[in-house]
Amino acid sequence: MAFLDISSVSKAFGTLSVLDDVNLSIDRGEFVVFVGPSGCGKSTLLRMISGLETVSSGTISIEGEIVNEVEPALRGTAMVFQSYALYPHMTTFQNVSFGLRMAHRPREVIAKKVQQAAAILRLDKLLERKPAQLSGGQKQRVAIGRAIVREPRVFLFDEPLSNLDAELRVQMRAELMDLHKRLGTTMIYVTHDQVEAMTLADKMVVMNGGRVQQVGKPLEIYDDPDNRFVAGFVGSPKMNFLPAYAIDASSEGVRIGGIGGQAETVLPLFVPGLTGKVEFGLRPEHLSPLLGDAPQPEGGLLLEGKVKLVEELGAESFVHMDLVDGTRVTVRAGRDAAVTGGTFRASVDVRRALLFARDGQRVRGPSGSRK
Amino acid sequence: MTSQSLRRIPVWSLAKWGLALMIAAIALFPIWWMINVVFALPGEPVSINPRLWPTSIPAGIEKIHLIFTETDYLRAYGISLLYAAFTIAGVLLIGSLAAFEFALFEFPGRSLLFGIVMLSLMVPTAVTIIPTYLLTSQLGWLNTMRGLVVPGLASAFGLFMLVQFMRAIPKDMIEAARLDGASHIQIYRHVALPLCRNALVTLAILTFMQTWGNYMWPLIIGTKPEMYTVGQVVGLFNSPLSHQTVDMVMTANLLAAIPPLLFFLIFQRKIVEGIAMSGTKG
Repeated sequence: MAFLDISSVSKAFGTLSVLDDVNLSIDRGEFVVFVGPSGCGKSTLLRMISGLETVSSGTISIEGEIVNEVEPALRGTAMVFQSYALYPHMTTFQNVSFGLRMAHRPREVIAKKVQQAAAILRLDKLLERKPAQLSGGQKQRVAIGRAIVREPRVFLFDEPLSNLDAELRVQMRAELMDLHKRLGTTMIYVTHDQVEAMTLADKMVVMNGGRVQQVGKPLEIYDDPDNRFVAGFVGSPKMNFLPAYAIDASSEGVRIGGIGGQAETVLPLFVPGLTGKVEFGLRPEHLSPLLGDAPQPEGGLLLEGKVKLVEELGAESFVHMDLVDGTRVTVRAGRDAAVTGGTFRASVDVRRALLFARDGQRVRGPSGSRK
Repeated sequence: MTSQSLRRIPVWSLAKWGLALMIAAIALFPIWWMINVVFALPGEPVSINPRLWPTSIPAGIEKIHLIFTETDYLRAYGISLLYAAFTIAGVLLIGSLAAFEFALFEFPGRSLLFGIVMLSLMVPTAVTIIPTYLLTSQLGWLNTMRGLVVPGLASAFGLFMLVQFMRAIPKDMIEAARLDGASHIQIYRHVALPLCRNALVTLAILTFMQTWGNYMWPLIIGTKPEMYTVGQVVGLFNSPLSHQTVDMVMTANLLAAIPPLLFFLIFQRKIVEGIAMSGTKG
């Protein structure tokens, strides 16, 4: 049995269903990230694990013990809130030691634990300050300190970095990873930022509409998404989706036509009987710009469109073009590709292309994965 | 100050200062006049209007001494202070406990209950005073401190004010405390109470002003002279058959006015802060 087991969990507020049949198992010491757009139920799931929210149906168990009815404080979880939730009238020391003081722990034990947490989080010099005298990053560290002294079985983070500026966020991200490495405790982290999820997670849980869409390692999810939502949500800039239709399927693969209005190609997928409308998914880096009169690669798929926008990011640039049927396609281009406007051509690495059925599900070969 | 910087003071700000000083003079003059009447030789005609300066400090002190030694004024002072202290303690305790529940937790019938309590704000005291009297009398609490204090403990206004304050406490903070293992009462004591300290101070001051100046309820409940509050004693001095000279009456009045004045002077910043915050934070 997994360390933390979420089994058939649902949650409804009145008639509004927020989570629907969530199943998830988390191993000890894992860094798990729940990611999804706002309102997808990720924070609710986290709050249910912490005990701040009740479970409508299903069970949550930690180390084999069902904790549905266990008081939040007794579950062995500690939570870091987006707003930090520091007590403004208390010093850092008092904030960090709050839980221990409420439990009437001996004074020496409290002092020792706070000192240890302060050393880990470099808070030593800030112990006498009140939250108003701390910067955003420092407040965040105090909030984490408050969690650490409780020595929880599971750390829960509810979008802890979203109140910080971009630079500090990157720095805190690195600190969190370092902290996880040092403590080795299971951490569950909620974010709507897929970059944060990709960089932090051992295991990424993509959620939408109250359901778990896919669970896996960040790169697995990036390369091999289960459905159109996951494919579109993970990755920046997002995946291009081109409307197309399946003409026929043979042992060679599926013949796809009308890609972006006109192009046609054969995908090396064995899906007998597939016909009708489909969607063709392409990541921007799987399109290569064809500059000037460069010849079209043999047997490849070529997309041609009008340049609408070029984003130059320094190391790379992204060209946004409109195909004949009006579909907007983003192509990653190097710095050398001086794109100014007019017509733009890009060749597609068909082996990397993904196919989605009309219901948004990924079309895979019988072996499961395409590769 | 140079003549140049003098010239820079705009007319508008001068006018504002002028107006403020005028209002202050109008408000302060009666108190100043009272002080002047007290600190004057006995028998000096009060009719010299207006009296602008005290004429004899020792005469005033003599009058104060006389009132404290020859009448029950000191006992009334004690009764009034106890009445105020108990009421403040009770209003703060009951009000903050109730506000804590109303503002931060969901429970069945919360809106309805709160609505009923707020409705009681609309009912004038004159309407409820007779039923309250009858109830107190049936409890056998006439002429007791209990009878004086208990009916004033449930303050709808106090509850309203504290609820407005506590609503501003972020829910996260309460939840964080719960996760930290704090019990309900510990959250109240260590998180909610300290966070609405300003509101509590304001409510304490307003309650003090109200109980110190309360005339009707002590008059009804305390028929025996041993239970008279300062307000009642001052009332006796003022009554037509009291045979007191105007300067003695003024001395009694001045002594009654000193505690709230001191209170206000000490806490005026908190009062203004508290009232301003109860308006914007809710």
